[in-house]
Amino acid sequence: MVDTNINEHLDRLLQELRRGTITLGVLSQLFEPRYGYSLVTLLNEKGIPIEPGTLYPLLRRLEKQGLLNSEWDTNEARPRKYYLLSNTGKEVYDLLVIEWKSIVTSLNNIISNGGNEKNGND
Amino acid sequence: MEMINRYVYAVAHRLPQGQREDIAVELRGLIEDMLDERLGDSDRTAKDIETVLLDLGNPKDLADKYRGTKKCLIGPELFDSYILVLKIVLIVVAVSIGAGFLIQTILEPFSILDHFINMIISIFTALPMAFAWTTFGFTMGEHYGGFKEKHLQNKEWQPSDLPGIPDEKGKIKRSDSIAGIVFYAIGLVFLTFSSNYFGVWVFNNKFTGVVPFLNEETYGFYLLFIIFIFGFGILKEGFKLVIGKWTYKLALFTLVINAISLTAILVMIKQANFWNPKFMNGLVESGLFAIGSEGFNIVSQLWGKLTFWLLVFLAIALIWDIVNGFIKARKTSNLMG
Repeated sequence: MVDTNINEHLDRLLQELRRGTITLGVLSQLFEPRYGYSLVTLLNEKGIPIEPGTLYPLLRRLEKQGLLNSEWDTNEARPRKYYLLSNTGKEVYDLLVIEWKSIVTSLNNIISNGGNEKNGND
Repeated sequence: MEMINRYVYAVAHRLPQGQREDIAVELRGLIEDMLDERLGDSDRTAKDIETVLLDLGNPKDLADKYRGTKKCLIGPELFDSYILVLKIVLIVVAVSIGAGFLIQTILEPFSILDHFINMIISIFTALPMAFAWTTFGFTMGEHYGGFKEKHLQNKEWQPSDLPGIPDEKGKIKRSDSIAGIVFYAIGLVFLTFSSNYFGVWVFNNKFTGVVPFLNEETYGFYLLFIIFIFGFGILKEGFKLVIGKWTYKLALFTLVINAISLTAILVMIKQANFWNPKFMNGLVESGLFAIGSEGFNIVSQLWGKLTFWLLVFLAIALIWDIVNGFIKARKTSNLMG
């Protein structure tokens, strides 16, 4: 009973955490053009699991916001939409990475200094 | 393949027209890619397709993600009030139609079948109408009413923008608004479906008929006015219920609606053919009194002045509604200042 509860909390929080970071992961892989499913595979391989049902709408949203450009490739048997960082997208990505690093540093600091003391789990 | 088409359609038809085709092609490609990864070059079965579609999830959720926002006619701020008003209106309409049937049956038990058929017709006409009006009113409120507390949503808000807590005297009691809605809904049903009972009921030992106040031949046309007036009334009470306190905006809105209603009533009852031209004759024929008797003269005079006094009473009631609104709105805003 308690275990399932903890797992539920963990799942929910983890989902929120992923949702926030996923954009960064996606942007990082789009310095060269890629189509949706190749991104799913690529990110999965790199340990960032993402559902196609989340990624595809996200790509569209980023394109609408002007961070990505897209182009249909109809030469192959299966038409595919390729996405690529726009100039704005590149700038935003670079700034976002700096922010991300500072968040990671700060959080790591907090976690290693504060979190464990109270738990006494060393 | 059939299943894939159905899935793509289920997503695409929930999306804005302009994006449908693009997303459909992309989605189809995605499903093919997922199948390829699962199976490599081996043959795909219906079961594989189903597994892949299950992985992609409910098409409705996927469409929601593509759209980014959920569409709604009436947003969460208004939804509870909408449901409340809707319930009241529908219950009142249904109950009054039922009550009408009972009364008619008690008065004229032999035509029970006619009454029953009338009741069924009334229910099928009136309930959708009531539903539509209420929904329409709230939709308008949602999109143009400014209930969304804009100043709290804009980027630069100041703590001084916070709306004041309404003064007790400026509050509108929920029970008052609900009573108002009930009143308008009953009136609407009665005047729409039982207008032939709107008159003097004649009893000679038993119920023998009604001498109607209104001209039955022209009534169909005036009914439009009446529906509008009562519909606006319900709208007004609904707004009062939602806003919950007198504000200048609400008072102004009341002023506009009451002015429109009063004008419509004025135009309507001033028309010679609105009232039943044979009203006095009808009374005489029903044997209430003879022409030239004292009773006849009194009623005749009353009948002649009816329009005028009706207007006076209505005008007083509606104007009081407006004045009251402005006085109370001033109290609430004083408190806030």
